[in-house]
Amino acid sequence: MKAQAYCKDRAIPWLIRSGAWVLSMVFLFAFRVPAEAAVTVSVLLLLGAVGAEVWIYLRNKRFYNGLLANLEGLDQKYLLPEMLEEPDFTEGRIVYEVLRETDKSMCERIAEYRRENADFREYIELWVHEIKLPVASLQLMCHNDGQAKYAEQLRRVDDCVENVLYYARSGSAEKDYLIKPVSLSRAFADIAIRSRAELQQRGISLRTENLGVSVLTDGKWLVFILGQLMGNSMKYGAKEIAVTAEDFPDRTVLRFRDDGIGISESDLPYIFEKSFTGENGHASGRATGMGLYLVKKLCGKLGHGVTANSEKGKYTEIVLTFGKNEMYKMP
Amino acid sequence: MKRILVIEDESALRDELCTLLRHAGHEPVAVTEWNGVLDQMINAAADLILLDINLPEVSGETLLEQFRKSAETPVIILTSRTAELDEVLSMSRGADDFITKPYNPTILLLRISAVLKRSKKTAAVQTYRGAEVSAVKGSIIRDGMEQILTKNEMIIFQLLLDRQGAIVTRDELMTALWDNDEFVSDSALSVNVSRLRAKLAELGLDDAVETRKKQGYVLK
Repeated sequence: MKAQAYCKDRAIPWLIRSGAWVLSMVFLFAFRVPAEAAVTVSVLLLLGAVGAEVWIYLRNKRFYNGLLANLEGLDQKYLLPEMLEEPDFTEGRIVYEVLRETDKSMCERIAEYRRENADFREYIELWVHEIKLPVASLQLMCHNDGQAKYAEQLRRVDDCVENVLYYARSGSAEKDYLIKPVSLSRAFADIAIRSRAELQQRGISLRTENLGVSVLTDGKWLVFILGQLMGNSMKYGAKEIAVTAEDFPDRTVLRFRDDGIGISESDLPYIFEKSFTGENGHASGRATGMGLYLVKKLCGKLGHGVTANSEKGKYTEIVLTFGKNEMYKMP
Repeated sequence: MKRILVIEDESALRDELCTLLRHAGHEPVAVTEWNGVLDQMINAAADLILLDINLPEVSGETLLEQFRKSAETPVIILTSRTAELDEVLSMSRGADDFITKPYNPTILLLRISAVLKRSKKTAAVQTYRGAEVSAVKGSIIRDGMEQILTKNEMIIFQLLLDRQGAIVTRDELMTALWDNDEFVSDSALSVNVSRLRAKLAELGLDDAVETRKKQGYVLK
Protein backbone atom coordinates (compact mmCIF):
# COMPACT_ATOMS: atom_id res chain seq x y z
CA MET A 1 0.00 0.00 0.00
CA LYS A 2 1.56 3.25 -1.14
CA ALA A 3 1.17 6.29 1.13
CA GLN A 4 0.80 8.66 -1.82
CA ALA A 5 -2.03 6.70 -3.44
CA TYR A 6 -3.69 6.31 -0.06
CA CYS A 7 -3.58 10.09 0.59
CA LYS A 8 -5.21 10.69 -2.77
CA ASP A 9 -8.05 8.36 -1.77
CA ARG A 10 -8.49 10.36 1.43
CA ALA A 11 -8.73 13.75 -0.36
CA ILE A 12 -12.54 13.98 -0.10
CA PRO A 13 -12.77 13.37 3.70
CA TRP A 14 -10.07 16.02 4.12
CA LEU A 15 -11.98 18.47 1.91
CA ILE A 16 -15.10 17.92 4.05
CA ARG A 17 -13.04 18.38 7.21
CA SER A 18 -11.54 21.58 5.79
CA GLY A 19 -15.04 22.82 4.96
CA ALA A 20 -16.17 22.11 8.54
CA TRP A 21 -13.09 23.92 9.87
CA VAL A 22 -13.78 26.99 7.70
CA LEU A 23 -17.38 27.07 8.95
CA SER A 24 -16.20 26.65 12.57
CA MET A 25 -13.82 29.58 12.11
CA VAL A 26 -16.68 31.73 10.75
CA PHE A 27 -18.72 30.85 13.85
CA LEU A 28 -15.83 31.55 16.22
CA PHE A 29 -15.30 34.95 14.61
CA ALA A 30 -19.02 35.66 14.75
CA PHE A 31 -18.97 35.00 18.50
CA ARG A 32 -15.87 37.17 18.74
CA VAL A 33 -13.68 34.46 20.15
CA PRO A 34 -10.10 35.71 20.46
CA ALA A 35 -7.85 34.70 17.54
CA GLU A 36 -5.41 32.86 19.87
CA ALA A 37 -8.19 30.55 21.03
CA ALA A 38 -9.30 29.94 17.43
CA VAL A 39 -5.73 29.05 16.41
CA THR A 40 -5.34 26.74 19.44
CA VAL A 41 -8.61 24.97 18.64
CA SER A 42 -7.55 24.64 14.96
CA VAL A 43 -4.17 23.14 15.87
CA LEU A 44 -5.79 20.68 18.31
CA LEU A 45 -8.36 19.61 15.73
CA LEU A 46 -5.68 19.21 13.10
CA LEU A 47 -3.49 17.12 15.43
CA GLY A 48 -6.46 14.92 16.32
CA ALA A 49 -7.45 14.42 12.69
CA VAL A 50 -3.89 13.66 11.55
CA GLY A 51 -3.42 11.24 14.46
CA ALA A 52 -6.63 9.41 13.60
CA GLU A 53 -5.67 9.35 9.94
CA VAL A 54 -2.24 7.87 10.68
CA TRP A 55 -3.80 5.23 12.90
CA ILE A 56 -6.30 4.21 10.19
CA TYR A 57 -3.56 4.26 7.60
CA LEU A 58 -1.30 1.99 9.64
CA ARG A 59 -4.11 -0.45 10.39
CA ASN A 60 -5.12 -0.71 6.72
CA LYS A 61 -1.53 -0.91 5.64
CA ARG A 62 -0.86 -3.81 7.95
CA PHE A 63 -3.90 -5.73 6.68
CA TYR A 64 -3.51 -5.08 2.97
CA ASN A 65 0.25 -5.49 2.90
CA GLY A 66 -0.20 -8.78 4.72
CA LEU A 67 -2.75 -9.76 2.09
CA LEU A 68 -0.44 -8.87 -0.78
CA ALA A 69 2.58 -10.57 0.79
CA ASN A 70 0.58 -13.76 1.27
CA LEU A 71 -0.62 -13.63 -2.31
CA GLU A 72 2.92 -13.14 -3.54
CA GLY A 73 4.20 -16.10 -1.57
CA LEU A 74 1.49 -18.55 -2.62
CA ASP A 75 2.00 -21.03 -5.39
CA GLN A 76 -1.72 -21.68 -5.67
CA LYS A 77 -3.27 -18.22 -5.36
CA TYR A 78 -6.71 -19.53 -4.48
CA LEU A 79 -5.43 -20.74 -1.12
CA LEU A 80 -5.15 -17.09 0.00
CA PRO A 81 -8.17 -17.02 2.34
CA GLU A 82 -6.72 -19.97 4.24
CA MET A 83 -3.66 -17.90 5.03
CA LEU A 84 -5.49 -14.85 6.40
CA GLU A 85 -6.35 -14.08 9.99
CA GLU A 86 -9.78 -12.59 10.41
CA PRO A 87 -9.26 -8.82 10.66
CA ASP A 88 -10.78 -6.87 13.58
CA PHE A 89 -12.25 -3.97 11.60
CA THR A 90 -15.36 -3.81 9.45
CA GLU A 91 -13.79 -2.97 6.11
CA GLY A 92 -11.22 -5.75 6.47
CA ARG A 93 -13.86 -8.21 7.59
CA ILE A 94 -15.92 -7.49 4.48
CA VAL A 95 -12.93 -8.15 2.24
CA TYR A 96 -12.14 -11.27 4.24
CA GLU A 97 -15.70 -12.58 4.00
CA VAL A 98 -15.92 -11.85 0.28
CA LEU A 99 -12.67 -13.70 -0.35
CA ARG A 100 -13.76 -16.67 1.70
CA GLU A 101 -17.14 -16.91 0.05
CA THR A 102 -15.87 -16.65 -3.52
CA ASP A 103 -13.12 -19.09 -2.75
CA LYS A 104 -15.50 -21.59 -1.23
CA SER A 105 -17.82 -21.37 -4.20
CA MET A 106 -14.91 -21.78 -6.59
CA CYS A 107 -13.60 -24.81 -4.69
CA GLU A 108 -17.03 -26.38 -4.87
CA ARG A 109 -17.14 -25.84 -8.61
CA ILE A 110 -13.67 -27.27 -9.03
CA ALA A 111 -14.57 -30.29 -6.93
CA GLU A 112 -17.64 -30.76 -9.10
CA TYR A 113 -15.60 -30.66 -12.31
CA ARG A 114 -12.92 -32.86 -10.80
CA ARG A 115 -15.56 -35.41 -9.90
CA GLU A 116 -17.05 -35.22 -13.36
CA ASN A 117 -13.60 -35.58 -14.86
CA ALA A 118 -12.78 -38.56 -12.66
CA ASP A 119 -16.14 -40.15 -13.52
CA PHE A 120 -15.49 -39.66 -17.20
CA ARG A 121 -12.01 -41.09 -16.89
CA GLU A 122 -13.31 -44.05 -14.98
CA TYR A 123 -15.87 -44.60 -17.70
CA ILE A 124 -13.16 -44.41 -20.38
CA GLU A 125 -11.11 -47.02 -18.53
CA LEU A 126 -14.16 -49.24 -18.26
CA TRP A 127 -15.05 -48.70 -21.89
CA VAL A 128 -11.52 -49.56 -22.96
CA HIS A 129 -11.66 -52.81 -21.02
CA GLU A 130 -15.03 -53.56 -22.59
CA ILE A 131 -13.94 -52.94 -26.14
CA LYS A 132 -10.81 -54.99 -25.69
CA LEU A 133 -12.91 -58.12 -25.29
CA PRO A 134 -14.41 -58.18 -28.80
CA VAL A 135 -11.04 -57.08 -30.18
CA ALA A 136 -9.39 -60.00 -28.39
CA SER A 137 -12.05 -62.39 -29.68
CA LEU A 138 -11.64 -61.11 -33.23
CA GLN A 139 -7.89 -61.39 -33.02
CA LEU A 140 -8.13 -65.02 -32.00
CA MET A 141 -10.68 -65.66 -34.74
CA CYS A 142 -8.29 -64.17 -37.31
CA HIS A 143 -5.55 -66.43 -36.06
CA ASN A 144 -7.69 -69.54 -35.87
CA ASP A 145 -9.15 -68.94 -39.33
CA GLY A 146 -5.83 -67.89 -40.85
CA GLN A 147 -7.05 -64.39 -41.81
CA ALA A 148 -3.87 -62.42 -41.26
CA LYS A 149 -5.01 -59.34 -43.15
CA TYR A 150 -7.79 -58.62 -40.68
CA ALA A 151 -5.37 -58.92 -37.79
CA GLU A 152 -3.47 -55.89 -39.02
CA GLN A 153 -6.60 -53.72 -38.96
CA LEU A 154 -7.47 -55.04 -35.52
CA ARG A 155 -4.07 -54.03 -34.29
CA ARG A 156 -4.81 -50.51 -35.53
CA VAL A 157 -8.12 -50.51 -33.67
CA ASP A 158 -6.30 -51.58 -30.54
CA ASP A 159 -3.70 -48.84 -31.03
CA CYS A 160 -6.44 -46.22 -31.23
CA VAL A 161 -8.07 -47.60 -28.10
CA GLU A 162 -4.75 -47.48 -26.26
CA ASN A 163 -4.30 -43.86 -27.31
CA VAL A 164 -7.63 -42.94 -25.73
CA LEU A 165 -6.74 -44.81 -22.56
CA TYR A 166 -3.38 -43.10 -22.15
CA TYR A 167 -4.78 -39.71 -23.06
CA ALA A 168 -7.28 -40.13 -20.24
CA ARG A 169 -4.52 -41.28 -17.91
CA SER A 170 -2.16 -38.49 -18.86
CA GLY A 171 -4.63 -35.77 -17.93
CA SER A 172 -5.83 -37.10 -14.62
CA ALA A 173 -4.53 -35.97 -11.29
CA GLU A 174 -4.49 -39.51 -9.96
CA LYS A 175 -1.29 -41.43 -9.75
CA ASP A 176 -2.06 -44.62 -11.59
CA TYR A 177 1.37 -45.74 -12.54
CA LEU A 178 3.76 -47.92 -10.65
CA ILE A 179 7.47 -47.32 -10.73
CA LYS A 180 9.63 -50.41 -10.59
CA PRO A 181 12.65 -51.76 -12.45
CA VAL A 182 11.65 -52.56 -16.02
CA SER A 183 13.86 -54.32 -18.53
CA LEU A 184 14.34 -52.15 -21.60
CA SER A 185 14.80 -55.16 -23.85
CA ARG A 186 11.52 -56.68 -22.61
CA ALA A 187 9.60 -53.46 -23.18
CA PHE A 188 11.11 -52.99 -26.62
CA ALA A 189 10.51 -56.62 -27.65
CA ASP A 190 6.85 -56.23 -26.61
CA ILE A 191 6.31 -53.30 -28.90
CA ALA A 192 8.47 -54.74 -31.69
CA ILE A 193 6.37 -57.91 -31.80
CA ARG A 194 3.23 -55.84 -31.79
CA SER A 195 4.44 -53.85 -34.80
CA ARG A 196 6.15 -56.75 -36.53
CA ALA A 197 3.72 -57.15 -39.43
CA GLU A 198 3.95 -53.48 -40.38
CA LEU A 199 7.71 -53.33 -39.85
CA GLN A 200 8.29 -56.28 -42.16
CA GLN A 201 5.81 -55.07 -44.73
CA ARG A 202 7.70 -51.77 -44.92
CA GLY A 203 11.04 -53.54 -44.86
CA ILE A 204 12.23 -51.77 -41.73
CA SER A 205 15.04 -53.40 -39.81
CA LEU A 206 15.58 -53.07 -36.08
CA ARG A 207 18.90 -52.71 -34.35
CA THR A 208 19.26 -52.72 -30.60
CA GLU A 209 22.27 -52.11 -28.48
CA ASN A 210 22.84 -52.47 -24.78
CA LEU A 211 19.13 -52.87 -23.93
CA GLY A 212 20.03 -55.36 -21.21
CA VAL A 213 19.65 -52.68 -18.57
CA SER A 214 16.65 -52.03 -16.37
CA VAL A 215 15.20 -48.59 -15.76
CA LEU A 216 12.85 -47.29 -13.09
CA THR A 217 9.53 -46.65 -14.79
CA ASP A 218 6.05 -48.05 -15.31
CA GLY A 219 6.38 -50.96 -17.71
CA LYS A 220 3.02 -50.50 -19.43
CA TRP A 221 3.48 -46.78 -19.89
CA LEU A 222 6.95 -47.31 -21.29
CA VAL A 223 5.65 -49.81 -23.84
CA PHE A 224 3.02 -47.28 -24.89
CA ILE A 225 5.64 -44.53 -25.21
CA LEU A 226 7.92 -46.75 -27.29
CA GLY A 227 4.89 -47.68 -29.39
CA GLN A 228 4.25 -44.04 -30.22
CA LEU A 229 7.89 -43.57 -31.25
CA MET A 230 7.80 -46.75 -33.31
CA GLY A 231 4.58 -45.63 -34.97
CA ASN A 232 6.15 -42.32 -35.94
CA SER A 233 9.26 -43.97 -37.36
CA MET A 234 7.14 -46.30 -39.46
CA LYS A 235 4.93 -43.43 -40.61
CA TYR A 236 7.83 -41.20 -41.60
CA GLY A 237 9.87 -43.36 -43.92
CA ALA A 238 12.37 -45.12 -41.68
CA LYS A 239 14.36 -48.02 -43.13
CA GLU A 240 16.25 -48.74 -39.95
CA ILE A 241 15.33 -48.09 -36.35
CA ALA A 242 18.22 -48.15 -33.92
CA VAL A 243 17.49 -48.26 -30.22
CA THR A 244 20.43 -47.89 -27.91
CA ALA A 245 20.76 -47.45 -24.19
CA GLU A 246 23.59 -45.85 -22.31
CA ASP A 247 24.00 -46.28 -18.59
CA PHE A 248 25.39 -43.48 -16.43
CA PRO A 249 25.84 -43.47 -12.66
CA ASP A 250 22.83 -41.21 -12.15
CA ARG A 251 20.67 -41.94 -15.18
CA THR A 252 20.00 -44.18 -18.15
CA VAL A 253 19.63 -42.63 -21.59
CA LEU A 254 17.61 -44.39 -24.28
CA ARG A 255 18.07 -43.20 -27.86
CA PHE A 256 15.36 -44.08 -30.33
CA ARG A 257 16.76 -43.20 -33.72
CA ASP A 258 15.46 -43.71 -37.21
CA ASP A 259 16.75 -42.80 -40.67
CA GLY A 260 13.43 -41.46 -41.88
CA ILE A 261 12.53 -38.13 -43.46
CA GLY A 262 13.49 -36.16 -40.37
CA ILE A 263 11.99 -32.97 -38.99
CA SER A 264 12.74 -29.52 -40.33
CA GLU A 265 14.60 -27.15 -38.03
CA SER A 266 11.65 -24.78 -37.85
CA ASP A 267 9.28 -27.55 -36.73
CA LEU A 268 11.60 -29.19 -34.22
CA PRO A 269 10.88 -26.91 -31.24
CA TYR A 270 7.14 -27.56 -31.49
CA ILE A 271 6.87 -31.31 -32.06
CA PHE A 272 5.86 -32.05 -28.46
CA GLU A 273 3.01 -29.55 -28.57
CA LYS A 274 -0.57 -30.69 -28.69
CA SER A 275 -2.13 -30.85 -32.16
CA PHE A 276 1.11 -29.76 -33.84
CA THR A 277 1.46 -31.60 -37.14
CA GLY A 278 4.10 -29.57 -38.99
CA GLU A 279 5.34 -30.06 -42.53
CA ASN A 280 5.57 -33.84 -42.26
CA GLY A 281 2.09 -34.14 -40.86
CA HIS A 282 0.62 -32.01 -43.66
CA ALA A 283 2.46 -34.04 -46.25
CA SER A 284 1.38 -37.42 -44.91
CA GLY A 285 -2.09 -36.43 -43.76
CA ARG A 286 -1.99 -39.13 -41.11
CA ALA A 287 -0.72 -37.03 -38.26
CA THR A 288 -2.96 -36.18 -35.34
CA GLY A 289 -0.44 -34.15 -33.41
CA MET A 290 -1.18 -36.26 -30.36
CA GLY A 291 1.56 -38.89 -30.32
CA LEU A 292 4.57 -36.92 -29.18
CA TYR A 293 2.39 -34.66 -27.05
CA LEU A 294 1.26 -37.73 -25.12
CA VAL A 295 4.83 -39.02 -24.94
CA LYS A 296 5.97 -35.76 -23.40
CA LYS A 297 3.07 -35.65 -20.98
CA LEU A 298 3.45 -39.24 -19.82
CA CYS A 299 7.21 -38.77 -19.46
CA GLY A 300 6.51 -35.66 -17.41
CA LYS A 301 4.27 -37.61 -15.05
CA LEU A 302 6.79 -40.41 -14.72
CA GLY A 303 9.63 -37.95 -14.22
CA HIS A 304 11.56 -38.91 -17.36
CA GLY A 305 13.24 -36.42 -19.65
CA VAL A 306 12.42 -36.40 -23.34
CA THR A 307 14.15 -34.43 -26.10
CA ALA A 308 14.42 -34.66 -29.86
CA ASN A 309 17.23 -34.23 -32.36
CA SER A 310 16.76 -34.34 -36.07
CA GLU A 311 18.13 -33.37 -39.42
CA LYS A 312 15.75 -33.04 -42.32
CA GLY A 313 16.13 -35.92 -44.73
CA LYS A 314 18.61 -37.73 -42.52
CA TYR A 315 17.41 -38.86 -39.14
CA THR A 316 15.16 -38.33 -36.15
CA GLU A 317 16.26 -39.20 -32.66
CA ILE A 318 14.11 -39.12 -29.56
CA VAL A 319 16.08 -39.30 -26.34
CA LEU A 320 14.45 -40.56 -23.16
CA THR A 321 16.24 -40.05 -19.86
CA PHE A 322 15.43 -42.22 -16.87
CA GLY A 323 16.58 -41.12 -13.45
CA LYS A 324 18.03 -43.48 -10.87
CA ASN A 325 16.45 -42.30 -7.70
CA GLU A 326 17.40 -44.59 -4.84
CA MET A 327 14.05 -43.85 -3.23
CA TYR A 328 12.23 -45.62 -6.04
CA LYS A 329 14.04 -48.89 -5.54
CA MET A 330 11.88 -51.71 -4.30
CA PRO A 331 13.43 -54.52 -2.27
CA MET B 1 -0.81 -82.92 -24.81
CA LYS B 2 -1.52 -80.67 -21.89
CA ARG B 3 -4.81 -80.21 -20.13
CA ILE B 4 -5.54 -76.51 -19.87
CA LEU B 5 -8.43 -75.11 -17.88
CA VAL B 6 -9.90 -71.95 -19.45
CA ILE B 7 -11.73 -69.64 -17.06
CA GLU B 8 -13.16 -66.84 -19.17
CA ASP B 9 -16.74 -65.58 -19.02
CA GLU B 10 -16.87 -63.92 -22.45
CA SER B 11 -18.18 -66.85 -24.50
CA ALA B 12 -16.82 -65.83 -27.91
CA LEU B 13 -13.38 -65.34 -26.46
CA ARG B 14 -13.58 -68.60 -24.55
CA ASP B 15 -14.52 -70.58 -27.64
CA GLU B 16 -11.72 -69.06 -29.69
CA LEU B 17 -9.22 -69.65 -26.90
CA CYS B 18 -10.22 -73.31 -26.80
CA THR B 19 -9.86 -73.58 -30.58
CA LEU B 20 -6.45 -71.96 -30.42
CA LEU B 21 -5.30 -74.35 -27.70
CA ARG B 22 -6.69 -77.38 -29.53
CA HIS B 23 -4.89 -76.37 -32.74
CA ALA B 24 -1.69 -76.08 -30.76
CA GLY B 25 -2.10 -79.64 -29.56
CA HIS B 26 -3.43 -79.01 -26.08
CA GLU B 27 -6.58 -80.26 -24.43
CA PRO B 28 -8.69 -77.28 -23.37
CA VAL B 29 -11.36 -77.60 -20.69
CA ALA B 30 -13.68 -74.62 -20.29
CA VAL B 31 -15.47 -73.46 -17.19
CA THR B 32 -19.05 -72.46 -18.00
CA GLU B 33 -20.72 -72.80 -14.63
CA TRP B 34 -19.89 -69.87 -12.36
CA ASN B 35 -20.86 -71.45 -9.09
CA GLY B 36 -18.05 -73.24 -7.32
CA VAL B 37 -15.34 -72.19 -9.74
CA LEU B 38 -12.73 -72.82 -7.07
CA ASP B 39 -13.76 -76.46 -6.74
CA GLN B 40 -13.69 -76.85 -10.50
CA MET B 41 -10.18 -75.43 -10.52
CA ILE B 42 -9.03 -77.85 -7.88
CA ASN B 43 -10.80 -80.88 -9.39
CA ALA B 44 -9.90 -80.22 -13.02
CA ALA B 45 -6.52 -81.93 -12.72
CA ALA B 46 -5.23 -79.39 -15.23
CA ASP B 47 -1.59 -78.82 -16.14
CA LEU B 48 -2.22 -75.11 -16.45
CA ILE B 49 -5.01 -72.64 -15.82
CA LEU B 50 -5.87 -69.56 -17.88
CA LEU B 51 -7.74 -67.21 -15.59
CA ASP B 52 -9.64 -64.06 -16.42
CA ILE B 53 -9.80 -61.41 -13.69
CA ASN B 54 -13.29 -60.02 -14.34
CA LEU B 55 -15.62 -62.92 -13.70
CA PRO B 56 -19.25 -63.08 -12.69
CA GLU B 57 -19.81 -63.80 -8.99
CA VAL B 58 -16.18 -63.77 -7.95
CA SER B 59 -13.01 -61.95 -8.94
CA GLY B 60 -10.16 -63.87 -10.51
CA GLU B 61 -7.75 -62.40 -7.97
CA THR B 62 -9.70 -63.80 -5.03
CA LEU B 63 -9.97 -67.16 -6.79
CA LEU B 64 -6.25 -67.23 -7.37
CA GLU B 65 -5.47 -66.41 -3.77
CA GLN B 66 -7.73 -69.16 -2.46
CA PHE B 67 -6.54 -71.62 -5.09
CA ARG B 68 -2.90 -71.05 -4.17
CA LYS B 69 -3.55 -72.17 -0.60
CA SER B 70 -3.99 -75.73 -1.80
CA ALA B 71 -2.53 -76.08 -5.29
CA GLU B 72 0.64 -75.41 -7.21
CA THR B 73 -0.82 -75.68 -10.73
CA PRO B 74 0.58 -72.86 -12.85
CA VAL B 75 -1.87 -70.02 -13.52
CA ILE B 76 -1.67 -67.41 -16.27
CA ILE B 77 -3.81 -64.35 -15.75
CA LEU B 78 -5.58 -63.01 -18.83
CA THR B 79 -7.01 -59.55 -18.45
CA SER B 80 -8.04 -56.42 -20.25
CA ARG B 81 -6.83 -54.33 -17.33
CA THR B 82 -3.65 -52.76 -18.47
CA ALA B 83 -2.16 -51.23 -15.37
CA GLU B 84 1.20 -52.22 -13.99
CA LEU B 85 -0.37 -52.40 -10.55
CA ASP B 86 -2.77 -55.16 -11.64
CA GLU B 87 0.16 -57.17 -12.90
CA VAL B 88 2.19 -56.74 -9.73
CA LEU B 89 -0.80 -57.67 -7.57
CA SER B 90 -1.57 -60.75 -9.65
CA MET B 91 2.01 -61.93 -9.51
CA SER B 92 2.13 -61.40 -5.76
CA ARG B 93 -0.99 -63.54 -5.41
CA GLY B 94 0.83 -66.37 -7.09
CA ALA B 95 0.21 -66.01 -10.82
CA ASP B 96 2.91 -67.42 -13.08
CA ASP B 97 2.37 -64.93 -15.87
CA PHE B 98 0.15 -62.00 -16.76
CA ILE B 99 -1.06 -61.34 -20.29
CA THR B 100 -3.23 -58.43 -21.34
CA LYS B 101 -6.02 -58.65 -23.89
CA PRO B 102 -5.99 -58.47 -26.80
CA TYR B 103 -3.04 -60.81 -26.95
CA ASN B 104 -0.95 -61.97 -29.80
CA PRO B 105 -2.04 -65.63 -30.07
CA THR B 106 1.48 -66.85 -30.79
CA ILE B 107 2.84 -65.00 -27.79
CA LEU B 108 0.11 -66.52 -25.66
CA LEU B 109 1.12 -70.01 -26.82
CA LEU B 110 4.79 -69.24 -26.23
CA ARG B 111 4.05 -68.03 -22.71
CA ILE B 112 1.97 -71.13 -22.05
CA SER B 113 4.79 -73.45 -23.07
CA ALA B 114 7.31 -71.38 -21.13
CA VAL B 115 5.22 -71.61 -17.97
CA LEU B 116 4.60 -75.33 -18.51
CA LYS B 117 8.32 -75.92 -18.92
CA ARG B 118 9.13 -73.96 -15.78
CA SER B 119 6.59 -75.87 -13.72
CA LYS B 120 7.61 -79.27 -15.06
CA LYS B 121 11.22 -78.46 -14.32
CA THR B 122 12.02 -80.24 -17.54
CA ALA B 123 15.34 -81.90 -17.71
CA ALA B 124 17.82 -79.56 -19.33
CA VAL B 125 18.37 -82.21 -21.97
CA GLN B 126 15.64 -83.35 -24.37
CA THR B 127 15.96 -86.09 -26.92
CA TYR B 128 15.13 -86.11 -30.58
CA ARG B 129 15.56 -89.27 -32.69
CA GLY B 130 18.43 -90.48 -30.56
CA ALA B 131 20.04 -87.07 -30.32
CA GLU B 132 20.54 -85.18 -27.09
CA VAL B 133 19.32 -81.61 -27.29
CA SER B 134 20.66 -79.22 -24.68
CA ALA B 135 18.95 -75.84 -24.85
CA VAL B 136 21.27 -74.39 -22.22
CA LYS B 137 24.44 -75.29 -24.08
CA GLY B 138 22.79 -74.80 -27.44
CA SER B 139 24.06 -78.14 -28.69
CA ILE B 140 22.80 -81.36 -30.28
CA ILE B 141 24.79 -84.54 -29.73
CA ARG B 142 24.19 -87.71 -31.74
CA ASP B 143 26.44 -90.75 -31.98
CA GLY B 144 29.27 -88.84 -30.33
CA MET B 145 29.06 -86.00 -32.85
CA GLU B 146 28.19 -82.56 -31.62
CA GLN B 147 26.69 -79.60 -33.44
CA ILE B 148 26.62 -76.19 -31.80
CA LEU B 149 23.54 -74.18 -32.72
CA THR B 150 23.42 -70.39 -32.70
CA LYS B 151 20.85 -68.72 -30.46
CA ASN B 152 18.47 -68.24 -33.39
CA GLU B 153 18.83 -71.81 -34.62
CA MET B 154 18.21 -73.12 -31.11
CA ILE B 155 15.04 -71.04 -30.73
CA ILE B 156 13.75 -72.38 -34.06
CA PHE B 157 14.69 -75.96 -33.28
CA GLN B 158 13.24 -75.79 -29.78
CA LEU B 159 9.87 -74.56 -31.06
CA LEU B 160 9.79 -77.25 -33.76
CA LEU B 161 10.75 -79.88 -31.20
CA ASP B 162 8.08 -78.79 -28.71
CA ARG B 163 5.49 -79.19 -31.44
CA GLN B 164 7.05 -82.18 -33.17
CA GLY B 165 4.84 -83.53 -35.92
CA ALA B 166 2.71 -80.38 -36.10
CA ILE B 167 3.08 -77.46 -38.47
CA VAL B 168 4.87 -74.44 -37.04
CA THR B 169 4.21 -71.36 -39.14
CA ARG B 170 6.90 -68.92 -40.18
CA ASP B 171 4.89 -66.31 -38.33
CA GLU B 172 5.20 -68.29 -35.12
CA LEU B 173 8.92 -68.85 -35.59
CA MET B 174 9.38 -65.17 -36.27
CA THR B 175 7.41 -64.20 -33.18
CA ALA B 176 9.43 -66.59 -31.04
CA LEU B 177 12.68 -65.08 -32.36
CA TRP B 178 11.50 -61.52 -31.82
CA ASP B 179 10.33 -62.46 -28.36
CA ASN B 180 13.97 -63.31 -27.65
CA ASP B 181 15.21 -59.93 -28.90
CA GLU B 182 16.31 -61.37 -32.24
CA PHE B 183 14.64 -59.01 -34.66
CA VAL B 184 15.35 -61.03 -37.79
CA SER B 185 13.86 -60.34 -41.20
CA ASP B 186 11.90 -62.77 -43.32
CA SER B 187 14.90 -63.71 -45.42
CA ALA B 188 17.13 -64.10 -42.37
CA LEU B 189 14.65 -66.63 -41.01
CA SER B 190 14.99 -68.69 -44.21
CA VAL B 191 18.77 -68.54 -43.87
CA ASN B 192 18.56 -69.67 -40.25
CA VAL B 193 16.28 -72.57 -41.14
CA SER B 194 18.57 -73.79 -43.91
CA ARG B 195 21.62 -73.55 -41.64
CA LEU B 196 19.73 -75.55 -39.03
CA ARG B 197 18.89 -78.13 -41.70
CA ALA B 198 22.53 -78.38 -42.73
CA LYS B 199 23.65 -78.90 -39.14
CA LEU B 200 21.03 -81.59 -38.57
CA ALA B 201 22.11 -83.28 -41.81
CA GLU B 202 25.70 -83.35 -40.53
CA LEU B 203 24.42 -85.42 -37.63
CA GLY B 204 22.73 -87.80 -40.03
CA LEU B 205 19.32 -86.28 -39.45
CA ASP B 206 18.49 -85.57 -43.08
CA ASP B 207 15.10 -84.18 -43.97
CA ALA B 208 14.32 -83.60 -40.31
CA VAL B 209 12.75 -80.23 -41.06
CA GLU B 210 10.17 -80.42 -43.77
CA THR B 211 8.79 -77.36 -45.55
CA ARG B 212 5.05 -77.18 -45.98
CA LYS B 213 4.42 -74.74 -48.75
CA LYS B 214 2.67 -71.52 -47.61
CA GLN B 215 2.13 -73.05 -44.18
CA GLY B 216 5.40 -73.46 -42.38
CA TYR B 217 7.71 -76.18 -41.17
CA VAL B 218 7.28 -79.56 -39.55
CA LEU B 219 9.88 -81.44 -37.55
CA LYS B 220 9.49 -85.08 -38.39
